[in-house]
Amino acid sequence: MRPRRRIFDKTASFAALLAILLSSLTAFRTYAGDNTASVIADTLQSRPVTSTYAIEIGGRHALSTYLSPLSYRGWNAALTGDWRKAMPSCPDHLLMHFNACASLSRMLNPYGNALMIGFDAAFNWGMSWRHVFKSKLQVEAGADVGIDGGALYLLRNGNNPVSALASAGLALRAGISRPFRIGRLPIVVSDHVRLPSLNAFFSPQYGETYYEIYLGNHSGLAHCGWWGNNFRIDNLLAVDLDFGRTAMRVGYRFNAYTSWVCNLNTHIFTHSFVIGIIPGGLGLKKRLPKAPNRTIYAIY
Amino acid sequence: MRSTDLNHITKKRLRAWGAPLAMALTLVPALTSCHESPQYSNDAYGNFDALWDIVDQRYCFFSDKGIDWDSVGRQYRARIKPETNILELFDICAGMLDELHDGHVNLTSSFNTSYYRKWWSDYAQDFNLRTVQQYYLDFDYGSTSGITYKMLLPDSIGYMYYPSFSYNIGETNLDYILAILHKAKGMVIDIRDNGGGALTNISTLVSRFIDKKVTGGYILHKTGPGHDDFSKPYAVEYEPAEQGRIVYWGPIVLLTNRSCFSAANDFTSVMKSLPNVVVAGAKTGGGGGLPFSSEIPNGWAVRFSACPILDADKKSIEGGIEPTRGCEVHAPEEELAQGKDAIIDFALDLLRAYIDQTEGEGAKKKAFNPDYGRTPQ
Repeated sequence: MRPRRRIFDKTASFAALLAILLSSLTAFRTYAGDNTASVIADTLQSRPVTSTYAIEIGGRHALSTYLSPLSYRGWNAALTGDWRKAMPSCPDHLLMHFNACASLSRMLNPYGNALMIGFDAAFNWGMSWRHVFKSKLQVEAGADVGIDGGALYLLRNGNNPVSALASAGLALRAGISRPFRIGRLPIVVSDHVRLPSLNAFFSPQYGETYYEIYLGNHSGLAHCGWWGNNFRIDNLLAVDLDFGRTAMRVGYRFNAYTSWVCNLNTHIFTHSFVIGIIPGGLGLKKRLPKAPNRTIYAIY
Repeated sequence: MRSTDLNHITKKRLRAWGAPLAMALTLVPALTSCHESPQYSNDAYGNFDALWDIVDQRYCFFSDKGIDWDSVGRQYRARIKPETNILELFDICAGMLDELHDGHVNLTSSFNTSYYRKWWSDYAQDFNLRTVQQYYLDFDYGSTSGITYKMLLPDSIGYMYYPSFSYNIGETNLDYILAILHKAKGMVIDIRDNGGGALTNISTLVSRFIDKKVTGGYILHKTGPGHDDFSKPYAVEYEPAEQGRIVYWGPIVLLTNRSCFSAANDFTSVMKSLPNVVVAGAKTGGGGGLPFSSEIPNGWAVRFSACPILDADKKSIEGGIEPTRGCEVHAPEEELAQGKDAIIDFALDLLRAYIDQTEGEGAKKKAFNPDYGRTPQ
C-alpha cells in the first residue's frame, strides 16, 4: 500500500538520521574519552570533555493558531545534556560542543477546561571560537547545525489536534563566562545564547489537515526559516559550582520559539530553573596534575 | 603591561562586541512581536467576536452557500446587551452558527451543545432498523466491526449494514465477512442512518470493491483567512486491497437516506463513481467538509467545516448526493411498520433482474446499471 510505504520511508529516514546523531555522539564521547584517559605525551596536554547533565523545570506559555486562538499556560520539564571540549588543532581557541534536550509540558487554556500537551527533542552539534582575556573573561562565538522536533497536542480538537514542530538548520551561538571564587569555592558564571538563524521547518498550510498530508499531499509543508518568520532564541544563564570531583550547575534558561508562516502564528515561551551536575568537575580546585602539565577546559 | 592598560583594552573590546549585541537584543522584541494574535475579552462581546472571527477566517462554504457573514454577525451581535447572561449568549451564538445550515457546526459549552438538525429533521427517515432485522434478516445475522451481515437466500444476495464509520473496520474482520458473502451474486450495502465517523474506514471498505486504483474524490484546504482562499484540489485515490485479501467485484447496490452524513456521504460519493455500484434510496444529508475545532475565551469549543471534499467530478458534496438516476426510492413509515422496506425491495429486485439476465454469460461481461428489469421511461 502506497501510504504505508511512505510512512515506512519516513520512519526509515528518521531512524537513519537518529542513528547518525547517536553515532556522532558516541564518536564524540569515544574520541573525548581517549583524550581524557590517555595523555598525549609529546604535548603534555589533556582536553577533557566537560559534560553537563541537567533537569530544567519551569513555566511555558504556548500559542498555536492552527489549534486555537487562545494562549495556553502550564509547566515544562526537560532533560538536557551538554558536552564541550577543546579541539586538538587549536585547543586554546577552538571548541566543539554537542547538546541534546528532551522536554515535556502540560498546559491549560485560560478558562482551564482544555489540556494541551507539548513534547519535543533537539540535538545540535557545533564549533565555537573563544578568546580568553587576561582578566579570565572568556568570550566565545560560533555556530551549530541541529535538528529538533516535537508537537503541541490539544486534546479537545478533532481533525486538527496536533501542531507538529520540526526543523533542521544552522544556528549562531555566543557565550561569555568568567571564573570567580566565593570564599574557597570556585565558580564559573556563564551566559550562552543560541540563535537559530537559517533552517528548513515544517508547517501545514493554514487550514490543511494531517489527513490530507497522510493522503500524500506533501506540497508546501517545508519552509525556509529565518529570523523574520521563525525567530527563536535560547539563553542559558548558569553558575557552575566546582566541588572538585564534581561540579553543580544552577541556572535559568529562557527559550523562545516563534513562527509566522501560512498565516499561522506560533509562540512558545519557556522559563526554566536549571539544576545539573558536571561529573569530573571543572578543574578549578587545585589538584596536582598527574601526567599532563596543562589541562584545557572548554568551559572557561 | 599594567592592569589599567588591560582594563582599557578589555573595555574597548567589550564596546566593540557590545554594540552589535545591544542591537540584537533590541531586535528581539521587535521580531517576536511582529505577529501578535488578536486578544479577546472574556465577556459577551469578546466571546461573540472571537467566535465570529474564527468562523469568518476558517469556515469553508461561505461562497458555496452564498452567506453574507458580515450581515449575519451584525444581526446577532445587536442582540447582545450588557446584562446578557451565558445562557442567552449561548443561544445568540448558536443562532448565528445555525445560519450556516451545516450539520458539522457545533458550539459546545459545559451545559449545552448546539447542533443544526434541519439537514435531516425536515426529511423522511426512510429507514427502520427493527424492520430490517426482523423481516429481512429474520433476527439471524452475523456482526463484526460494527457491520451486520447475512447472505439472503434463495437469491444468494449478500447484505451488509454499516451503521457508523466510527466503528473501525478490521481487515481480518472484513475478510471473514466477505468470505461468507463471496459467493453472492449481488451485494446490498446499507448505510442508512450512518452519521459518519473516520474517513480512513472509507478506504478500508472501498478497497474491497475495486480492482484497480480509482480517484474517488478531491480534497482542498484553506490557504488563508479570506473566504475564497483555497488550495488546488488534491486527488483522493483509493487502492485495491492488498493481495491475499478477500474482495468482491460483483454488482452492488448502496442504500442511502437523508441521515447519511459526513464520512457516509463521502463513502457514497466514492462508491457512486464505481461502475459496479448503483446508489438507491434517498439523497444523502451532506456534510462534505472536514471539520476543524477551535475555542473562544470562555472555554466553549466550536467545530466547523474547514476543508471541502469534492466528488470524482470535482463537484461539492456538501449539499448531499442524489441516488443514481432512476433509483430514488422512499420507504414510507406505514410500510416500514408493516415489515416492508421499499428501498431494500428495490435493491433486491434490481439485483435479481441483473442476475437473471447475466446468469450463464458471466457477470463481468455486462455492466451493472439501474435499467435491469425495468421498462425504460
